[in-house]
Amino acid sequence: MNTHVKITKSEAADLSRRSFLVGSAAAGLALGYSAVPGLFGSDEALAATAKNFDPSVWYAIGPDGLVTVTVGKADMGQHVASTMAQLISEELGSNWKDMRIQLASNDPKFNDPVLGAQITGGSWSTMMNFDAMSRAGAAGRIALMEAAAGMMGVPAGELTVRDSLITHVKSKKSKSFAEIVKSGKITKTFTPDDLKAIKLKTPDQYTKVGVSVPQLDIPDKTRGAAKYGIDVMLPGMVYGKVVTPPVRYGATVKSVDDSAAKKVPGFIKAVVLDDKTKTTTGWVVAVAKTYTEAQKAADALKITYDGGPNAKLSSQSLFDEAKRLQGLSDSGEFFVKDGDPAAALGSAAKVIEAEYTTNINIHCPMEPMNATAEFTGDILHIYTGNQFATRTGAIAAGAAGIDPKHVVMHQMYLGGGFGRRLDADMTVPAVQAAKAVGKPVKVIYSRENDMTMDFSRPLTYQKVKAGLDGDGKLVALSHDVVSAWPTQRWGIPDFLSPSVDKKGPLDAFTVNGADFFYTVPNHYVRAIKNEMAHEATPSGQLRSVAPGWTFWAVESMIDEIAHAAGKDPAQFRIELLDGKGKNDGGAQRLRNTLLAAMGLAGYGSLKLPKGEGIGVACVSSQERKTASWTACAAHVAVAPSGEVTVKKLTVATDVGTQVNPDGIRAQVEGAALWGLSLALYEKATLKDGGIEQTNFDTYTPLRMSQLPEVTVNVISNGEPATGVGEPAVTVIAPAIGNAVFNAVGARVRGLPITAEAVKAAMKA
Amino acid sequence: MATLNINGRNMSVEAAGDTPLLWVIREQLQMTGTKFGCGAGLCGACTVHVNGEAVRSCQTSVSDAAGKKITTIEGLSAKGEHPLQKAWIAEQVPQCGYCQSGQIMQAASLLAKNSNPSKEEVVAHMDGNLCRCMTYSRIQKAIMRAAADMRTASNAGDRRPT
Ligand code: FES
Ligand code: FES
Repeated sequence: MNTHVKITKSEAADLSRRSFLVGSAAAGLALGYSAVPGLFGSDEALAATAKNFDPSVWYAIGPDGLVTVTVGKADMGQHVASTMAQLISEELGSNWKDMRIQLASNDPKFNDPVLGAQITGGSWSTMMNFDAMSRAGAAGRIALMEAAAGMMGVPAGELTVRDSLITHVKSKKSKSFAEIVKSGKITKTFTPDDLKAIKLKTPDQYTKVGVSVPQLDIPDKTRGAAKYGIDVMLPGMVYGKVVTPPVRYGATVKSVDDSAAKKVPGFIKAVVLDDKTKTTTGWVVAVAKTYTEAQKAADALKITYDGGPNAKLSSQSLFDEAKRLQGLSDSGEFFVKDGDPAAALGSAAKVIEAEYTTNINIHCPMEPMNATAEFTGDILHIYTGNQFATRTGAIAAGAAGIDPKHVVMHQMYLGGGFGRRLDADMTVPAVQAAKAVGKPVKVIYSRENDMTMDFSRPLTYQKVKAGLDGDGKLVALSHDVVSAWPTQRWGIPDFLSPSVDKKGPLDAFTVNGADFFYTVPNHYVRAIKNEMAHEATPSGQLRSVAPGWTFWAVESMIDEIAHAAGKDPAQFRIELLDGKGKNDGGAQRLRNTLLAAMGLAGYGSLKLPKGEGIGVACVSSQERKTASWTACAAHVAVAPSGEVTVKKLTVATDVGTQVNPDGIRAQVEGAALWGLSLALYEKATLKDGGIEQTNFDTYTPLRMSQLPEVTVNVISNGEPATGVGEPAVTVIAPAIGNAVFNAVGARVRGLPITAEAVKAAMKA
Repeated sequence: MATLNINGRNMSVEAAGDTPLLWVIREQLQMTGTKFGCGAGLCGACTVHVNGEAVRSCQTSVSDAAGKKITTIEGLSAKGEHPLQKAWIAEQVPQCGYCQSGQIMQAASLLAKNSNPSKEEVVAHMDGNLCRCMTYSRIQKAIMRAAADMRTASNAGDRRPT
């Protein structure tokens, strides 16, 4: 990473060292963690310069009794703000009808308590914020109860709280939250120890957690009233349309002729980006009074490019390079190294090997990338919906040539994230255009810009070798994963992991999932960076990230091994999930989801017609330490032409504790259908250094007519809450691939699974 | 200068005749409920009604829309209580929500003509509307629920004493 991007490391996130304050303020009762001056830099600077900045408040209760929760998370359809409100409401004892949500700016005080940054991804939010939100809610309840006790002249210990009402049962007196907030002067400080000492509810006492309360963001989304980044309107604002080069990365602008653009009414200026953050290369922004005029001007610009070093590359070149790298003995770094796989493979009774591939995939959320930038005094304001406010603020600052502490990011709703909005590229043209024209500028990508300049799911190549002993037992597995390294691209060392062979840090977000919960005594996983792909197709985190490809390989291979050993693939998995050693706990949970999916789908019992099959897969996405447990039984029908019709997906997932069951079902179903879409319908290709697909006619996510029957079966066993937004993405493709094999004996090893590939494999 | 009749009101807008209706609605009239998704008639996010028909406002020019009755999501019902909007909440359809204005407008044009659609009719009518969050099954359920509610309401209306 270059020096123009400065990520402010924040200690502010360490809530264990901060007090929680409850205090009456002008507009009601404010509750939040104290901002300790001097502990973190940017907070002070921002507070000093931006008077209208949100106070360090996690939630506030108004004199009308409405409870507004401020959430430092990206709300992109997972209703995370609503979930956070639900956790607070549970302990606070408020009526759900009184709850409101608002999105936070990028102030470090809203950083994730565990991650130390504002980032939404990895299905982490609920898991990591459960405790902090619960304690914040409980602290509020305690403060309100003490105030109510004083007002009623009764001991606080005799009060009960329910639906925003505090009641003294004996005297039949009660006070609403609104009354307490209106009349009272409440000041209470909880030290970190006080907070820790609060006894939270036990699951049997829950009244909100585990209940499908209506999501707070939904009504606005049925009336066109929710505000996304693209909806931001600022006084005096003009519009920018980017012109992106034919090469995904590495091009430079040689010349810009704007003589025709100048004839477009409303045209203001063509700005050639000077992007020192290296997020973009060779971009130009046409700025005009309206977006339509900006589009026309963009079309009228005559730009010549130097295509740069990647201008000749294609998907095939990236695959070829991946194979070459995999063949080298000293490539990559070890992510897993158990036992001695080389020796075990050497002495195995039977060795089978296979190559698995995935193509480039594009996020294409329905809201194209956009950002609005405005300079007011020293402060750069960015309005956009973003999953990684902390880094995005830094990129915007880099593009502006200012210190990140002078950037305020105003979070908007995200019209889809899926990992795309972890990136910050959209801020660069907005910032530089705003600077060049001295006005606020909203930059909106066309769908063509959005697709061809995606930080895509990288093309991957994996080689897996398995060794069986004489009894058909799996004794060795070697697994090489070759890909671009999406997370290394961020340039934040904390997001990299040490390799087990101490060869240096590796991007675990390319191999997560390969460290599965099967017991295999000799096992290695090697992460190999495809530098060519890394440069030519800067990759990003696409919903579920690595498990989206690692489980494609692992779960297909396990089936191949089972068939080679003459065993039922589901039964074979159950044996491997023996819960021995480091796999204890996780393996059993995964096994249970598999058994559930098998039973619910009628695996082995349903009599299927010719050409139909059921295949299974089970996954521990995302990371091993934040695993969640998901299995799928896919029922497919395969036509003689090779065309695959998915008849039914039976998904079982163990989520530990459910906060909002209906929300979980929506997420799991959406994730499963993403998995289906990636398995069968989505493929992008690189040609002459550029992405060939430009809109929804050539890049074709699942439509309603392609919807199979999906059943989502949630196991909630009281374990801590796991993430649910991603894991089901990863289980579908291998389940379908395995089902196709069971149906017609065709093994497909590349994604997406196409009719041609199935047909070819049927003949083979 | 063109005059558009949007949500029952005449509004004059200043835009070249070939400007897509979508951008005039969003930028000049600042009604941002209608969304931009693809600009090519491929996703349905920009769906509005012109004379009661669901059309893609990214593919409809201002001059074509002038003089016709245009309805956007903001004007579908006065208080956001169209049976579809209520059903959308009851079924908790939206995830990111970005496609949903277009989905609702597309569905509304179906139910206006056919208050008892089959599943196949719903799919055929809705297939041009992409939802990247994949809320399709809930969309189907919500349309069926709204259709049932509309039928009940109109039956009740028929039975109302004169
Ligand atoms: S924006 Fe009009 S159809 Fe996609
Ligand atoms: S709800 Fe997100 S695109 Fe449909």
